[in-house]
Amino acid sequence: MDNVSFRTTVLPLSDRLFRLALRITMNRAEAQDVVQDTLLKVWEQRSQWEQINNLEAFAIATCRNRALDVLKRAGRNTKSLDEVDDVHSPMPNVQSSMETREEISLVRSLMDGLPEVQRTIMLLRDIEGKTYQEIAQALSISETQVKVYLHRARTKIKEKVKVKMKN
Amino acid sequence: MDYKYIEQLLERYWECQTTLEEEAILRNFFRQADVPASLLRYRQLFNEEDKMADEHLSEDFADKMLRMIGEESTQPHSRGVKARRLTVVRRMRPFYRAAGLVAILLTIGNAAHQSFIDEEETTASTQMAETIPADSIEGIKAGSPDKQSAALAPQPLDTLDAFTR
Repeated sequence: MDNVSFRTTVLPLSDRLFRLALRITMNRAEAQDVVQDTLLKVWEQRSQWEQINNLEAFAIATCRNRALDVLKRAGRNTKSLDEVDDVHSPMPNVQSSMETREEISLVRSLMDGLPEVQRTIMLLRDIEGKTYQEIAQALSISETQVKVYLHRARTKIKEKVKVKMKN
Repeated sequence: MDYKYIEQLLERYWECQTTLEEEAILRNFFRQADVPASLLRYRQLFNEEDKMADEHLSEDFADKMLRMIGEESTQPHSRGVKARRLTVVRRMRPFYRAAGLVAILLTIGNAAHQSFIDEEETTASTQMAETIPADSIEGIKAGSPDKQSAALAPQPLDTLDAFTR
């Protein structure tokens, strides 16, 4: 990996990592702390940057793990990869925060209510424009799994939007 | 206008069969104001994703991170010395200040010196007044100019002797 430096390669990832941390923690201050910890972690690993195949995927994975740790420490449980099929029960903290923020749009609240892994994949694909391969690498799952989770997320949004619009 | 292509893309989007480029076409389509009623319900999804993409960290975050790892800031003007053009008046300002200070010190010194001289003169006059004999003062009070001058004028010793004889 040539010409890699913190300033030119790692620091430009900050906003992307912030959006990811924000979608997981749902809290700007916590998300900013997560990004700061993530970047410091990447910086500490600088002697191994040459060996890391995809530094961005490494940073995304670190950021996601840190954000999930924040949720666990705060007692705000998130769903494991095995539990993500529960379509109709979004995370309690997300649900309660959604109720207090009525100005948030229907779609935003639907997206916030998705299980974490679906939400993260939808963000990486639809907002950050990542390929299935890049997402699979960052989340350490197969491309097929990425497509399965994304398909579930999009279908859920589509169905809910249809129902809400009919009502 | 025929929206069949968009509808087909949208169907493939839900099935996760679209490429990133095709998804960008959909996103651009839903950004326009003129969206047919049949597709209007999906516009909010793409618009919301646009809003999410606009979330950013605070402006000073990058500088803070660089300081934490011991690198220089990305904004040199925020930490470095700023160059300023100096006019002649501004350049001479220290000399004006020094001259002003000297003038103030001289004024205070002169005033102190003057008050010291005045005090000395006052003391001398008081001492002189104390040495004048009491009867001379009585003479002054009586209003006799001869007596006054006689009392105040210094008398030669031989003249004094003639009087006593």
